[in-house]
Amino acid sequence: MLEIAEPVASWQDVAVRYPYHRATAVGPVSMAIRPGERLLLLGPSGSGKSTLLQTLTGLIPQSILADVVGAVRLFGQEASARAPAQWASHVAQLFQNPEQMLCGMTVADEVAFALENQGLAASEIQRRVAAALDRVGFPHDQRDRRTMTLSGGEKQLVALAAMLAQNAPLLVIDEPTAHLAPAAASRLRSLLLASRQAARSALIVDHRLDGMLGMIDRVVAIGADGTMIDGGAPREFFRRCHATLVSNGIWVPLAVEVDAALIAAGIRLAKAPLTMSEAIATLAALNDGRRTLALEVARSLAARQLATAQASGTDNDIIAALSGVHCAPLFGPVTLRDVSLVLRRGETLAILGRNGAGKTTLGATLAGLLRPRRGRRSGPMGSICFQNPESQFLTGSVREELTAPPVDRHLAEWGLAGLGDRHPFELSQGQKRRLALATVTAGRDPPLLVLDEPTAGLDAAGKSLLSRRIDSLAGQGSAIALITHDLDFALGVCRRAVVVGEGRVLADGPIAALMRDHALLARADLEEPPVLALLRWLESCRC
Amino acid sequence: MLSRLHPLPKLVLCSLWLAASMLIFDAAFQLLTIGIVAAFLILLERRSPLLVLALMVPFALFGFGFLTTSVLFRQESDFALRMAERAPFGGAAFSAGLVLFLRAIACGMISALFVLTTDPGALIKAMMVSWRLSPRIGYSLFSALHLTRDLASEAHEMRLARAMRRGRPPRRIPGPMETISLVVPLLAFAIRRASRMAIAMEARGLGALGHRTVAGAPEIHLRDLLFTAAAATMLAAAIYGALFSNTLSKIVSTCLK
Repeated sequence: MLEIAEPVASWQDVAVRYPYHRATAVGPVSMAIRPGERLLLLGPSGSGKSTLLQTLTGLIPQSILADVVGAVRLFGQEASARAPAQWASHVAQLFQNPEQMLCGMTVADEVAFALENQGLAASEIQRRVAAALDRVGFPHDQRDRRTMTLSGGEKQLVALAAMLAQNAPLLVIDEPTAHLAPAAASRLRSLLLASRQAARSALIVDHRLDGMLGMIDRVVAIGADGTMIDGGAPREFFRRCHATLVSNGIWVPLAVEVDAALIAAGIRLAKAPLTMSEAIATLAALNDGRRTLALEVARSLAARQLATAQASGTDNDIIAALSGVHCAPLFGPVTLRDVSLVLRRGETLAILGRNGAGKTTLGATLAGLLRPRRGRRSGPMGSICFQNPESQFLTGSVREELTAPPVDRHLAEWGLAGLGDRHPFELSQGQKRRLALATVTAGRDPPLLVLDEPTAGLDAAGKSLLSRRIDSLAGQGSAIALITHDLDFALGVCRRAVVVGEGRVLADGPIAALMRDHALLARADLEEPPVLALLRWLESCRC
Repeated sequence: MLSRLHPLPKLVLCSLWLAASMLIFDAAFQLLTIGIVAAFLILLERRSPLLVLALMVPFALFGFGFLTTSVLFRQESDFALRMAERAPFGGAAFSAGLVLFLRAIACGMISALFVLTTDPGALIKAMMVSWRLSPRIGYSLFSALHLTRDLASEAHEMRLARAMRRGRPPRRIPGPMETISLVVPLLAFAIRRASRMAIAMEARGLGALGHRTVAGAPEIHLRDLLFTAAAATMLAAAIYGALFSNTLSKIVSTCLK
C-alpha cells in the first residue's frame, strides 16, 4: 500500500442529516483515500453509503439539500471550494442507479458528455468514446440507440463507459455491477481495479464481493446506524469482523464464510482466503486429519447454499404456459422467438442470460403483463416486482404501499420499521428494493410471481429474508420466476432455470446441471458461481 | 434522405413554408403543400403511404372543425368568407371552410415532416454550435423533447403496477378516469426525472468551464445547399402561383381595410 501523507479525499467527522429528518443519514464518519488506493465501502441498506459518496464533490449539500457537519477535503482543498461540476475533471462518479446517471441521450452522446464539458478536442472525444465502449464491451453498432431504450444492464455498461472515458484520477463507484451478467461484471471489475495505477484511486460500494476482494487494498464498514464499524486490509478485516458484518446484515464472500466455518470447527488457516480458488488451494494443502474435518465443514456449508425446496412434481398443476410465443417489450421489436415453457404450482424458475437478452420481456410476458406478438399464453395474471423498484410505488407513504395487514409486522420483517411515514422515493436504493419486494410478497399469496433482479442493491440480510419468503411462497403453491444475475442466489432458491440468448431460449433444465455446462455459460455471459466451484472440488475429493 | 440533412436549413425552410401556409388563403397552395410533403415522406423517406394518411387524421379532425364552423356559423367566419368569395368550390362558406381545413392539414404535415426526419439531439447540437444556444437550455430542451416517449413507457408501468394491485389485467386502452388519475403521478415523474438529470449533468461537469466542445454536431454539406435551393425555389414558385391567381393580394387588401 502506498504511504503518502496527503490523501486524495478525506472525511473528518462528517455527518449528514436531510431536511425534516430527525436522525442523521450517515456519520459521524472519518476516513481517507490515499493516492492509488482502492477502498471498498461496505454497509447494510440504508446505512448512508451513497449519501457519503455524494458529499465528496459537494453534490450534497450544494445540489441536494442537507445539513453536513465535519470537513470533506478533495485533492488538498475543501470540497466546497469548487462547484460540484468543477470537480468533474478530478472525480468520475458512477451513481447507484444508472437511471440517475444517464441524461436520455444516445449511447455515444452520453459517453461524450463529460468530455465535451471539459472542452476536449472533438477528435480526442471520439477516440475516447470508442475506446471506452470497447473496454466495457458495448457493441459499436448500437452507439446511436437512446439510453432510455436499453435494458438495465446495458444502461449500467453505458454509465461505466461514460465514467471510464473521463479518465479522472479518482473513481467513485456505487454498485457498479448490480445489474450486470456475471461474466460482464467480472470483466468490468478487472477493468476498474486490476491494473494498479499510482495516479488513480477508487472508492467502491458494492454488495457482490466475490471476485473483487483480490483487487481491493482496504475495506471500511459502516453499520446500520451510519457510524463506522471498522476498517483494514481485506484479509485481516474479514476474518476479524466476520461476526459483526453478518450481524449487521452485510454480505461477505463465500470464501470468508468457509474460513469462518473452519475457525468455528477449530481449524485456523495460516492465511485467510479471500477467493474460492484460494480457499480450495488452502484446503487441498491441509494434512489428512485436518483435511477430513475441513471437507466435512465445507460440504455442510455448500449444502446450505443450494436450493432446499422440493422440486416441483411434473404432475403439479400448470400455473402459466407459453406456447410458441414471440416476446417483445412495449413499443419495441421482438427480442425472443418461439418461446415455449411451462411453470407449475410450487415451482421456482430462474431466468438467466446476458444483459439485453430479453429476460425482463420474457418475465413480463410470462406474468401476462405484456401481450405476446405471436403464440399463446395461458394462466392467470401474475404479479411482477419490477427491476426499477420505483415503478412499484403508487402511494405517498411506505405504510400505504403495504395493503395487507399487519403492516407494522411486514415493515419490521423487511427492515423498514420506523420508515412507515416516509415517502417511498425518500428511501435509499436498498430500502426501495425491500419495500418493492414487500409490496408483492408480504401477506399476499399470488399464484404467479415474477421477480426481476430482486437482489440488485440488496444487502445480505435482505437476500436472506427474500430467500426465506420465496421458499415460503413456493411451499404454499405459488409459482415463482426469478430473473437474476446473482447465480449464487438463484442456486439457493431455484431448482430449474431457463437460459436465454441469441433471440431464443438456449436451455431449460435443472439449474445445477446448466451451471456446470461451461459452453452454455460462455454463450450466455454467465460464470460458474463460487459455490459450484467448491462443490466440484469436493466431488473430486470424494473420487 | 431528408433525415441526413442539416437540421437548421430544414428548420428555416419548414418555418417559412408554415408561415406561407398560414398567410396564403388558397386551396391550391395548401393542396400543393400537402402533396409535396406526402411525396417527400413516401418517395424520399420511404415511409408507408398508410402512415402518411394516418398522420393526416388528427390534423384533418382539427381542420374539420373549421369547415363545420365556416358552413354552419357564417357570421363567425366573415374574414374567411371574404377571402374565399371567388373560390371555385361551390358556395363561399364551403370554400372558406375547405381552405381552412386544408390549411390545418398542410401545417400539420409540415410539422410532421420536420419531426419525422430530424433527430432532436442533432437539432439541439446544431443550435448550440450555429446559434450559440446555451448548453443548459439546449440540454433542457433535449430532455423535454425526449420526455414524451418516456412518459408513455412510465405510464405503461404505472398501469401494470395498478393492475397487479387490483389483480386483473389492464385494459388495452385506458379509460378517461384512469387517464386522469395518471396525470399527477406522471407530472411527479417528469419533475423527478428533470431534477435527477440536472444533478447527473452537474456531476459530469456541465457548466464547469466557459467553453464547451460539441462533439458530433451536424455539418453543412453540398446536399444541404442543393436541398435548400430546390425547396426554396419550389416555395417561391408556389407563392408565385398563389399570387398569380390574386388570392394573396386579397389577403393584403383585406388586412389594410
